[in-house]
Amino acid sequence: MRPAGLGEREKPTHRGVVLDPRSKLLLLATIATIVLGGMGGSQMLWMHAVLSSLPLAMLAFSGRFVAAMICAAAFGAAFFVQAALVAQGSGTGIFVLLLLSGIFSRMLPAIVAAHYLVTTTTVSEFVAGMHRMHAPDSIVIPLSVMFRFIPTVVEEATSIQQVMKMRGIRVGAGHPRKMLEYRLVPTMICSARIGEELSAAALTRGLGAPIARTNVSHIGFAIQDWIIAAICSWAFIAASLSMIGA
Amino acid sequence: MSAHKPIPQTTKLTGKDLINVGIYTGIYGVLMVLVGWLGFIPILIPLLAALVPLIGGIPFMLYLTKVHKPGMLVLMGILLGILMFATGMGYWTILTGAAAGAIAELIWKWGDYRDAGKGVVTCGFFSAWVVGNFLPFYIGRDAYLAQLADGFGAEYAKELSGYMPTWMLAVLLVASIAFGLLGGLIGKSVCAKHFARAGVA
Repeated sequence: MRPAGLGEREKPTHRGVVLDPRSKLLLLATIATIVLGGMGGSQMLWMHAVLSSLPLAMLAFSGRFVAAMICAAAFGAAFFVQAALVAQGSGTGIFVLLLLSGIFSRMLPAIVAAHYLVTTTTVSEFVAGMHRMHAPDSIVIPLSVMFRFIPTVVEEATSIQQVMKMRGIRVGAGHPRKMLEYRLVPTMICSARIGEELSAAALTRGLGAPIARTNVSHIGFAIQDWIIAAICSWAFIAASLSMIGA
Repeated sequence: MSAHKPIPQTTKLTGKDLINVGIYTGIYGVLMVLVGWLGFIPILIPLLAALVPLIGGIPFMLYLTKVHKPGMLVLMGILLGILMFATGMGYWTILTGAAAGAIAELIWKWGDYRDAGKGVVTCGFFSAWVVGNFLPFYIGRDAYLAQLADGFGAEYAKELSGYMPTWMLAVLLVASIAFGLLGGLIGKSVCAKHFARAGVA
């Protein structure tokens, strides 16, 4: 489905506990480095649990309680299977189970954090946050476009995938060239078209204009942002210490 | 492809250029992440150095038709690096992205920002950015393998290190450039066959 209009998508932003966009970015970067990237090694396992529960909690606070609960249950199961089995010996069953639970317990928190960032932050808030961090325009503009655009590309790709499935063009049907051509090409043509419309809309709003833009988003640090910042710094310090110690 | 379009006089990146960087990095990034899922099967990890440039050639060649100024390829490399960092592949990719982007930038300038043949070469060298994803295996190798063993079990780490001996890095670099060239050729023909006709190139 095409997004209606070209400005912001509908986002239930101002419900429940609201985080500053910078805190959301910090949380995502911390989870990417420590939980997904594995910085600090196995001594950090409990830190993984703490960090992973943060985006789940924020998801629940932002009004999607059921989704948060489902993710929490899935994460908890994968986490405990992994913690229980990682010290065990070998065996094909254990190998596969470890691989699956390892992937799941690492990927899920990052996916939830990214989902939380994208669904609860408007592009204006994102731009305001980046400007407060004094990021240069040549990084802020492409990033904010990607921020708005990637969900659209995924949506388009999913729709086209469904159509091609209906026509019997799918992985393993023996048409690798058709697969590539019939899926990639339409996805890219619609993405490029939408991108062009998006670009016209953004220029109308003065993105990239030589003068400073004004921004009406209210962003700023509140108590919940300081808590996130404290936990993330604690995680980085603990990870650095365990790397020096190891 | 776009030989008839005049090249703008200014070399400073405008808002529209920066928006194009975002759009095409977005398309390239989504395809890359989709292909990247294969990396959870250990034996497929080295294969990604070939698959990502191969698939990436199509959006990249389309992107090149919008690039007429210096800086846009370096920016794309850095942004892909940031995207890779956010998806847990470490920070080396930001550096290799900037380096590969800078080399690609020179080749594309040599092609006068319009020569599709040199665009294919540009695509090949730009593709070398993917090597950054493999650097954690080589810089601090033992620590990284120990970390993988902690997370995914000793067997996974052992298997993976078997697939990634030290000389493999050179192979990956060459493979990424070679498959980048191939992807560029595919991209060039797709551009001519579809995108020009659809009016997007």
